[in-house]
Amino acid sequence: MRIPRTLAVPFLLASAVTVAACGSAASTASTAATGSASATSPQLTLYTSVTQNTVTAVLSGFAKVDPGVKVTVFRATTGQLNARIAADQHSGGLRADVIWGTDPLSMESYAQQKLFQPWPLPNLTGVPSQDKTTYFWGTRELYLVIVAHKGLTPMPTTWAELTSPAYKGKVALPDPAAAGSAFAALGYFATAPGFGMNFYDKLKANGAVQVSTIPEVVTDVAQGRYQLGITLDSEVRAAIKEGSPVVLDWPADGAISLYSPIAETTAAKGSAGTAAQELLRYVLSTPGQTAIGKTGWQPVLPGIPGPARPAGATEVYPAWTNLFGRQTQILQQYQAIFGA
Amino acid sequence: MRAAAAKAAAAKAAAAKAGTAKAGTAKAAAAKAAAATLVAGLIAALVAVPLVSLARIAAEAGLTGIWRALSGPQARVAILHTVAVAAVVTVLAVTAGAALALAIERRPARTLPRLLVAGPLVIPEFVLGFAWSQAYGPAGLSDRLARLVMPGLFGPAGIIAVLTVYGLPLAYLAVTAGLAARADPALERAARAAGAGGWTALRTVTLPLLRIPLLAAAALVFVTAAGSFAVPQVLGTPAGFATMPTLVYDDLALSASPAAFTGLTVVALALVVLVLLALGPLDLWLARLRPSARPDAPPARHQSRTTGDRVVSVIVWAYATFAAGIPMLTLVLTALTRGPGLLPVPANWTLANFSAGFSGGGAALLRSAGLAFTAAILAPLLGSAVASLARGRWRGPLATLVTLAYAIPGSALAVGIIIGYGRWLDGSVTIILLAYVAKFWVFGHRPVQAALDRLPPGLTRAARLSGAGSATAVRTVVLPPLTVAMTTAAGLVFILAFHELTMSTILYGPGTETFAVVIMNQQDLGGIGATAALAVILTAPVVAVAALAAWLARRPSRSARPAPRPPARPPVPPSACGSPAAPGGGPWFP
Repeated sequence: MRIPRTLAVPFLLASAVTVAACGSAASTASTAATGSASATSPQLTLYTSVTQNTVTAVLSGFAKVDPGVKVTVFRATTGQLNARIAADQHSGGLRADVIWGTDPLSMESYAQQKLFQPWPLPNLTGVPSQDKTTYFWGTRELYLVIVAHKGLTPMPTTWAELTSPAYKGKVALPDPAAAGSAFAALGYFATAPGFGMNFYDKLKANGAVQVSTIPEVVTDVAQGRYQLGITLDSEVRAAIKEGSPVVLDWPADGAISLYSPIAETTAAKGSAGTAAQELLRYVLSTPGQTAIGKTGWQPVLPGIPGPARPAGATEVYPAWTNLFGRQTQILQQYQAIFGA
Repeated sequence: MRAAAAKAAAAKAAAAKAGTAKAGTAKAAAAKAAAATLVAGLIAALVAVPLVSLARIAAEAGLTGIWRALSGPQARVAILHTVAVAAVVTVLAVTAGAALALAIERRPARTLPRLLVAGPLVIPEFVLGFAWSQAYGPAGLSDRLARLVMPGLFGPAGIIAVLTVYGLPLAYLAVTAGLAARADPALERAARAAGAGGWTALRTVTLPLLRIPLLAAAALVFVTAAGSFAVPQVLGTPAGFATMPTLVYDDLALSASPAAFTGLTVVALALVVLVLLALGPLDLWLARLRPSARPDAPPARHQSRTTGDRVVSVIVWAYATFAAGIPMLTLVLTALTRGPGLLPVPANWTLANFSAGFSGGGAALLRSAGLAFTAAILAPLLGSAVASLARGRWRGPLATLVTLAYAIPGSALAVGIIIGYGRWLDGSVTIILLAYVAKFWVFGHRPVQAALDRLPPGLTRAARLSGAGSATAVRTVVLPPLTVAMTTAAGLVFILAFHELTMSTILYGPGTETFAVVIMNQQDLGGIGATAALAVILTAPVVAVAALAAWLARRPSRSARPAPRPPARPPVPPSACGSPAAPGGGPWFP
């Protein structure tokens, strides 16, 4: 047939034009980005899985303190952030100067892969010791609590009561494989005295159901698909604010606390390294922590107000150092109970 | 003397002619080589680079690591689930799609039923499962209104049902185009006149004639179902029903650890191998089937509505209402409602879910539309490059190769693209465009390949013999059906690229956020209202454009009916997957 060659001409022309157009658009964008960097202002790339409103609030405060630093942000969920970092490592190296994660587990993996500088600001005060490692420090606390459908009586008062026959078939769990914050609950129960994997056996026997994400637990409980669930306090508060029929049930034996760590990477060199440390310092300063508190999270620095908590509320901490490196193994034990 | 001179002149002329012919052959060979290089380059750039990048990571695990990643109980179950779901969905979607096409396409009022059946295609795949769960699940709309909950919605049955609804339009459109071109009603009438029952005529005449579009549709539906992530995630998780794409997603959350990341690439590549095993032989077989051209005879259609037409209408309306109408209505209500668990009544309505999405999203919306538009132009062009240049024994394997990037889960493909091109293109729109074109190339290739296949080779020759120049022959004979196929392909690619979420969220950089990325970031995959609003925002423009296109296409035909077919029009529209356009039809929907 003769058609192909005749067609190939317009095809080549059109694709060449389009590609050229795209190419020029891309190069314009990159010059715009590097243009300001060459004007002596240090450039900083932040990879984060922290919610957008918190990142925006903290960075706008940072811009006032340090107007010279141009910050480029890549924000995504933990899984997508992991994919991006892994892809970077396989194509010329990590392109972030600071990583601000949601949970310590992924961050510990990165530390072990030598992606982080040792914590560069050891003299900062106020951060609780359980939120510190050699390479990264916590910036805010996230609490795993019980969410209950409004009007449920009696309400469970402890975690263990979720296995009580009164709540048979009424409990939703977030998939611990889907996010680090959901894994924190599994990590805590798997290693805490009095619970262990046996707790999940009992939950399963009591008809508890695993749904996919932490927000979905709240949705399902609000809609009445389940009456109770394990989720993050911030999600429950957001739903209550929207008028959803849910209540936040803070277990008497303590909400499970996980911290959201930040670290300077080994890619941060020269002025980027200095800028990275300035950002770390700002996040752990009173104004930075206040911005975090105002966007619905508990700041790590004592005395800085976060969201309201019930009187006498306590928290418990997963034994992170025991959990580092055991994530897959614990998940497999869990999936043997809640998998297909 | 004169005779000798004439002989010499003749010899000279012959030599000159031979020289020209030789030059012509050399030119043709050079063009052929250039074409082959172009196709090879495209395959290398869009398929081989990301695949090899992933394979290199998978290879870090070594053979034992790969074996361990695939032989664990979880992976084995996921592979089994994926194959089973994809196979059942393929059979159901192709059967139902073909049945609906046969029922609808020979009846007078076709535009509306076509739109209704093809409709679910414009709903993003990640929305459909979620919308069904909100419509028919426990505490969903039907439960609240009528205490009706669909049994088995959370689990394999629900996954299969929703994926069938999503895949059915692909099969329907392929068979529709195939019917218009292939199945000759005269042959069926002859069979019936010779005493064959309706079933026998269908089995022995109609279906064999539709073999090519049916197989082509099966290929695309299989890959789509096997690669679906969102539907098994929403409907499978509560039942503990994992598939290969959900396994990739789980690994992604853990992929800060190199072992989990390697596991991810191994499972993603296993999915590619699965598709290769299923599609490779199918494409080889398809390439060997020679389509037979049918003379340009107007298809016989009922000219007045019969009871059968009314039954078909009722079935189509019921199906569309159930499969897409009620779920989409639920979605709109959810997007309008303040918080989860509140009744979708006006007192609880808000636009907050939408306004959050739109704040700062204007530029991103334009960028998304621009990216989708560019991908929609490039994919069919690159598709036609392969379709028109791939001949002979390369046809089948090339068709499979073009499909492979579509089979890679989006997250893994994005990783492969960054590894391949990130050094130069990191964070640019070009890298996002590259990913879109690689992923959706198949939709630009298969319809065009089918359209080219449908061209009887004698047609251009006939045009040339009748005195048309080569340009005229191409313009009047080749381009019209190809234009329809390429427009169709462009429409499909635009929809899919505009809805793309996973790759964009991994590939974007400063100033290159797509619309979906902006909304996802602002709402942090959060509340159900936000997700529903995103779904509505992504679906509504496409529905509007499709409806407009259908309306525009319908208007002239209404005034002209019963119009004779335009005589200059070639008899053969595209006949395979995803080519919705039938003669006289609109560009996106028939």
